[in-house]
Amino acid sequence: MPLLSDLAQALEAGDRARVEILTARALQENMSPDGILKEGLFAGMDVVGARFKNGDIYIPQVLIAARAMHAGMEILRPHLIRTGAKPAGTFIIGTVQGDHHDIGKNLVAMMLQGKGFEVIDLGVNVPSERFVQALRDHEANIIGMSALLSITLPFMEETIEAIGRAGLRDTVKIMVGGGSVTQAYADQIGADGYGPDATAAAENALALLA
Amino acid sequence: MTGKERILTALSLQEPDRVPLYIHAINEAPIIGIGRHLREGLPDSKALYEMDASETVALLDTLFLIHEAFEIDGFTAFEIGHETVLDERHVRDDWGVLYERSPYGLPVASGHPLKAPDDLSRYHPPRPRREHLLMHDLARDRFKGHKALFWMMRGAFVRSWRLAGMENLMIQMFDCPSFVHALARMVTNFNLEMLDLLTDAGVDVLIVEDDIADKQFPLIAPDQFRTFVEPYNRELVDKAHAAGLKVVRHSDGNLWPLLDSLFDAGYDGLNPLEPQAGMDLKKVKAHCGDRICLIGNIDCIELLPSGTPVQVEAAVRQAIEDAARGGGYILSDSNSLHPGVKPENCIAMFEAAKKYGRYPGAGR
Repeated sequence: MPLLSDLAQALEAGDRARVEILTARALQENMSPDGILKEGLFAGMDVVGARFKNGDIYIPQVLIAARAMHAGMEILRPHLIRTGAKPAGTFIIGTVQGDHHDIGKNLVAMMLQGKGFEVIDLGVNVPSERFVQALRDHEANIIGMSALLSITLPFMEETIEAIGRAGLRDTVKIMVGGGSVTQAYADQIGADGYGPDATAAAENALALLA
Repeated sequence: MTGKERILTALSLQEPDRVPLYIHAINEAPIIGIGRHLREGLPDSKALYEMDASETVALLDTLFLIHEAFEIDGFTAFEIGHETVLDERHVRDDWGVLYERSPYGLPVASGHPLKAPDDLSRYHPPRPRREHLLMHDLARDRFKGHKALFWMMRGAFVRSWRLAGMENLMIQMFDCPSFVHALARMVTNFNLEMLDLLTDAGVDVLIVEDDIADKQFPLIAPDQFRTFVEPYNRELVDKAHAAGLKVVRHSDGNLWPLLDSLFDAGYDGLNPLEPQAGMDLKKVKAHCGDRICLIGNIDCIELLPSGTPVQVEAAVRQAIEDAARGGGYILSDSNSLHPGVKPENCIAMFEAAKKYGRYPGAGR
């Protein structure tokens, strides 16, 4: 469908105005909101994610693409609610206690939204009890923790333990990522998933739900 | 040779008497941890901002002592006194940038005074102030010309994103490039004026500290780097060179896609060469070791926090083998001696540098 591929391309280019126009036009042409979302916006974001992972584009291009995606989603939102479309899953995300770095976490959140996740962003410097409380407040499929500073890594393990003590470990998958996290560390602390980069994190999150 | 001669010789891509040793940045905890091997009566580790005046003086004196006892050839100073403490968790610098303090690392900029072009009309940037060079003055008095005096200056990208917010700055590169240029112009004017003060104060080496990459890729596209960042930092390089200073470029991360632009800018040295970011010392030496002095690469992510002194010694020996040939290598860690590093491993690094770094022969 050329309109949706145009929409995807506009998103890839980060052209917010064009994404808004093409999203509205697709609705006028009675395309399904879910189809516009998946075959237009998410298809475009998939390309952005792949190119970012490959080093063909950089964070600024991802940011304007994500901004364009959000603009399209705002237009689609009431229609999606009306048709009862469900997100791929709910993902709680935050940067662990002591760590105030947010751009890596934000990129993961953008990629997750591009895969259809509803993302609940707890922000930075999030202590373990806030992760636990968020799990109580939301029916989340996955909780994701980010850390850039290696010295704050122990808070990932502490949060996993706190989730266990709260009796919630079996209700949720746990993912970790960030500048100082490795697959080996993720395995060591008993995380279910790891993302070496934002694109892979979102792909791995989807795989965890399969 | 004095430490200063050693550093300046290496930065000129010549062989000194031994591979110079350098600490780019060090946190309070390792200063105290290493210092305990040299003196008694040091306080338990705590952040500088929690220390009273006498503890601060003791900390700085211990840092000087570490440089003397382990024959570290250069000392890094930076601006102090330009921040106002707001409460236990927040400080604001003289640009109006708000920082969150953390016991686990450097404060992170979280409040940005210049989000949009309109904000510029109401904004008055600070002027550099001579009294903010106190740390340099104390080092100069202490080392009396025996060590190279480095000054850490934040470059155009870091200063600009702190003013505007990082994501916002990146988006403005598309939405309003003139705003991004205006920020870079403003911070560079400050830096150029600061450079006059530094030259008069006897700084030997300017470090343009402008983190531009993460461990996978540069943070912005190479063409954005060449448009919005490097022309401004290059003004610092040119002015510093004209004043007789050497200039080192510091950036974390994978710099491969930007290396050629960095050479063009004329830097004398490149730091910190993170192995986890693909900055393999041997490869970098082969690529550009004849054009730029390499500084760093001893792994502070895994080796210095979790390794043993024997492993550290082996890594130092390897780094010297990989990079010291012909001069142009300064031994240092791969970013900073942060609170996670083991003091014994830092000492092993210092001692191994002297054990294996003798010229002629080092790196052959």
